[in-house]
Amino acid sequence: MSALLTIEDVSMRFGAYQALDRIDLDIQQGEFVALLGPSGCGKTTLLRAIAGFLKPESGRILIDGQDISRLPAHHRPLNTVFQNYALFPHMTVLENVAYGPRRQGASKADAADRARAALDMVGLADFGPRYPRKMSGGQQQRVALARAIVNQPKLLLLDEPLSALDLKLRKRMQLELKHLQAKLGIAFIFVTHDQEEAMTMADRVVVMHAGRIEQVGAGTDIYRQPATRFVAEFIGDANFMAYTLATSATGDTLQLDLQNLRVPLAGNNTVNNTVKTLPTPTRGVAVLRPEDLRLADGQATGMLTGTVADVINVGSHSMIHVDIDGQTVVSRHGGIAPSGLRPGAPVSLTFAPEHLHLIGEQP
Amino acid sequence: MLFFAAFFLAPLAVVALASVTSGEPGLSLTTQQYLRVLADQYHWDVILTTFRLAFFTTLVCVILGYPLAWYLVRVVRWQAWRRFCVILLVVPLFTSNIVRAFGWMVLLGRNGLVNQALVGVGAADRPVRFIGTELGILIGMVYVLLPFVVLAVGNALARVDPACEHASADLGASPTATFFHITWPLTLPGVMSGAIIVFTLAVSAYVTPALLSGGRISVLSMLIFQQYSSVFDFHYGGALSMVLLVFTLILVALANRAATLPGAAR
Repeated sequence: MSALLTIEDVSMRFGAYQALDRIDLDIQQGEFVALLGPSGCGKTTLLRAIAGFLKPESGRILIDGQDISRLPAHHRPLNTVFQNYALFPHMTVLENVAYGPRRQGASKADAADRARAALDMVGLADFGPRYPRKMSGGQQQRVALARAIVNQPKLLLLDEPLSALDLKLRKRMQLELKHLQAKLGIAFIFVTHDQEEAMTMADRVVVMHAGRIEQVGAGTDIYRQPATRFVAEFIGDANFMAYTLATSATGDTLQLDLQNLRVPLAGNNTVNNTVKTLPTPTRGVAVLRPEDLRLADGQATGMLTGTVADVINVGSHSMIHVDIDGQTVVSRHGGIAPSGLRPGAPVSLTFAPEHLHLIGEQP
Repeated sequence: MLFFAAFFLAPLAVVALASVTSGEPGLSLTTQQYLRVLADQYHWDVILTTFRLAFFTTLVCVILGYPLAWYLVRVVRWQAWRRFCVILLVVPLFTSNIVRAFGWMVLLGRNGLVNQALVGVGAADRPVRFIGTELGILIGMVYVLLPFVVLAVGNALARVDPACEHASADLGASPTATFFHITWPLTLPGVMSGAIIVFTLAVSAYVTPALLSGGRISVLSMLIFQQYSSVFDFHYGGALSMVLLVFTLILVALANRAATLPGAAR
């Protein structure tokens, strides 16, 4: 089956600044995809290129196999939820939502009916006669959503739609959006710089950096097996430890620069090459998530020893920053940290070798 | 507030007071000045001419000013050029009205540049009469007042959220539909405020109509000026002033009402 949206080799620059660098991406019917990256990574530029507000210099954008690169925005079969909603201030909520069907040629009564149905879907059935300015941010957000789905597009683009909401409301809207998407069966492309938001909602996460796609995959895969150091750093917290591969009589081992620790190379160590298919690189950096780095039990000696630098209690968990020969590593501890842990106290850490994820260095 | 009272309300009160007294000793109120103004067909003709001129000046200013503002705000990409255009637009405001009116007298005269061009191109057989016609006054006033519309509309255009226009296009509206459904209504308050400024200035304009009328056309302000400067009838002049003020206020109030957006904040 062919993809709903195909982006082929799309590049774009603003002056000397490369905003998009040869982007290739396929999006399937009914999929929820998050474009994730720091500000300036090109995610919004890519969204605008898909919507038709920016013209890429090269490459093609296809919907259902039809090239829409040359089509002006108002002829493209997709709709957008804008970052600040962009509701029309001089129209009521109902008029805002009915605007799409009206412009598509629906009669006034028909457009109003469809608008009411869309408003009902986002839980704002009674708000038709109000003006957007007299509504809360969350309500405006829903109006923008209703306005974008009323034309029943195949593809909905969402440009950081939740960024203006407070944290509690944002969490609720994330789930609501996800459920709405499942109900409508419309493919969603969701731009965000919040990795938690992307992980919560999306079937697939596209991590972007400096105009390029760094990695595409399910949220958990990206978290567990980051393709690059940038991805490992951007998604969640990570400890980085330089390693060298060594061969000995007992089999392959991994030698960490940190305290010259040797661990056996476990069969299920996931290995990523930054270049296509090289054999396991002999040098690189190992990624270890804080929750995989535990405090050694009781008096037992762990694999790494150091001194406590900081203890951060957040309530549900605590982050323990440990100084090991000048390098700080972070260990995540479920619940409140043991009371004996004070800055300066000696501490011993342990981890399972198979939790190391290796990112090879190009020779 | 005190400043406002001293320099704005006080003179206005003097004029208003003068308009309801007769000039004879003692403080007896009278409507005789107003009767003199309103019972005379001549005055009605002058009032009509005044407001007709002001109306068409406003209309032409909006018709010319909107595209000009659009050009400056939406089309010009080059900052320096835009700044240059705005300066070009504003600089005439710093020069004397009289100088500019005389400039137009030269341009619009029987052998002026405009007539030479018209005849040269073949658009007219013989020189068109501008001086002493309403058309001539209109041209002069539009020239003087156009910048106000351009600045007001330009400001309104710059404040329209581009995302609103994007949203309109995104929902399937053609550029024309977007203009009429989104951009025009959103800039309407700017258009109206520019129009109100132009209208009030045009209604009370003196120098331009006086110089370009060639003595053939009278507007209210010229009549008022005569009463104050040559006839010295402050009571009659006061009544004329009050009539002008009241008519203008009524029209401005109506325009203001029409310009208020339904969804505006407040």
